[in-house]
Amino acid sequence: MKFNNIKHIVASLFLTIGLVSCNNDDEGVGPVVPSIDFSGTFAQQDQMGRPGINTVLSGTSEIKNNFNVTIPSEQGATFQPLFLDQAVALHDAFGTTYETNILGLDAPTLTTILASDVLQVAPNAPTTYFDGTNVLTGRTLTDDVIDVSLILIFGGENGDRFNGQDLDNDGTPDLPILVTDGVSNAGETPLNVFPYLEVPHS
Amino acid sequence: MYSIKKTNLFIIGGLLSIGAVLMAADHLDAPAVMGTTADITDFYAFEGANQDNTVFVANVQSSLAPAGDSATFDENVLVEVNIDNDGDLVEDLIIQAIPRNGIMYFFGPYAPSQTGLNSVINEEAQYLGQVEISTGPAAITSSSNGISYFAGLREDPFFFDFTQFNAVIGGMAPNGFNNPGNDDFDGTNVLSIVIEVPNSFLGGTFSHPAGTGVEVFNTWVEAKRKQ
Repeated sequence: MKFNNIKHIVASLFLTIGLVSCNNDDEGVGPVVPSIDFSGTFAQQDQMGRPGINTVLSGTSEIKNNFNVTIPSEQGATFQPLFLDQAVALHDAFGTTYETNILGLDAPTLTTILASDVLQVAPNAPTTYFDGTNVLTGRTLTDDVIDVSLILIFGGENGDRFNGQDLDNDGTPDLPILVTDGVSNAGETPLNVFPYLEVPHS
Repeated sequence: MYSIKKTNLFIIGGLLSIGAVLMAADHLDAPAVMGTTADITDFYAFEGANQDNTVFVANVQSSLAPAGDSATFDENVLVEVNIDNDGDLVEDLIIQAIPRNGIMYFFGPYAPSQTGLNSVINEEAQYLGQVEISTGPAAITSSSNGISYFAGLREDPFFFDFTQFNAVIGGMAPNGFNNPGNDDFDGTNVLSIVIEVPNSFLGGTFSHPAGTGVEVFNTWVEAKRKQ
């Protein structure tokens, strides 16, 4: 641990020296050098607000491609009906139908909210995708957004509608597990200071 | 619900190891952008260590496994964080990031001259910044005007049993997910852009559209390629 810290410090020094010799101070600022070309028009190819929306709720490749090049203000009208169809189809595959979820949202309401793919962020309240109390006020690096999403779609009014229940107590699950992917955030240990993300694997 | 636009993993891990299953799941990714340098993998927004700041994280080119240390940001791809301050789903402020010769340059937050699918860069934006792109363990950061900047290779914080998800969606897993599942993103890296901005630069808020009464702004990220 100590050795690693020392290595990092040495590496930092080395990089700092490199930066200075490259003429940029590491406070980074100042007017952008005029000779750098930032001109031109940049056209949208991909977009994302909330995690997983396009992958799960767009039923075909064509829908996925189109969703990525549709601005948020125009997403609802086009994609809510398609997302609703997909939510129905996902349930059909397990011989069941959508049930009003833990937030009290029926399928049309849920897909209406999700079809406008933006992330709400609260600058003056706890930020979380869902922590049991606060809902959709941001997304932290350790939020289990997959389980939250699965619970909202498959969880029904109690959030645990399909969780591998053994209904007849014969030792074999009678219902599928659809409200968690079984992967927790235990392996993620982000820093509590900028830039927060962990060092890369080597 | 996974969004994840984690297409590379899918391709690399999938085709090599579990070809048949993955082929069936291939339709889950958006083909036009998958595996390209404009492929957004994840977007995060959360309160900073300084409670008066909000942190935005935009990750691209996911699942650079195992090391992926040769991946680079594309100088033709502009990553743009959009902020909507009145709830009309149209950006009122943007923060742009684009690399040039090993340096990531940042513009904003500022009010764009045009909204929508096409963007230009205003080099005279009120807030400008730059930081050397980090390629190893050491995180090179910079700050100006109270805004902090980082760009470079990091561990992918995303965790998800994507393989089993594809099986579930593909109708090949009647019992659903496994307990425990397998984190397909364990051991993978991603190219990350991190910006920490004082909330006072981020404009106004409105009441949460879900009716919770919390004051919020909307945000989303876009990858835009030079034409």
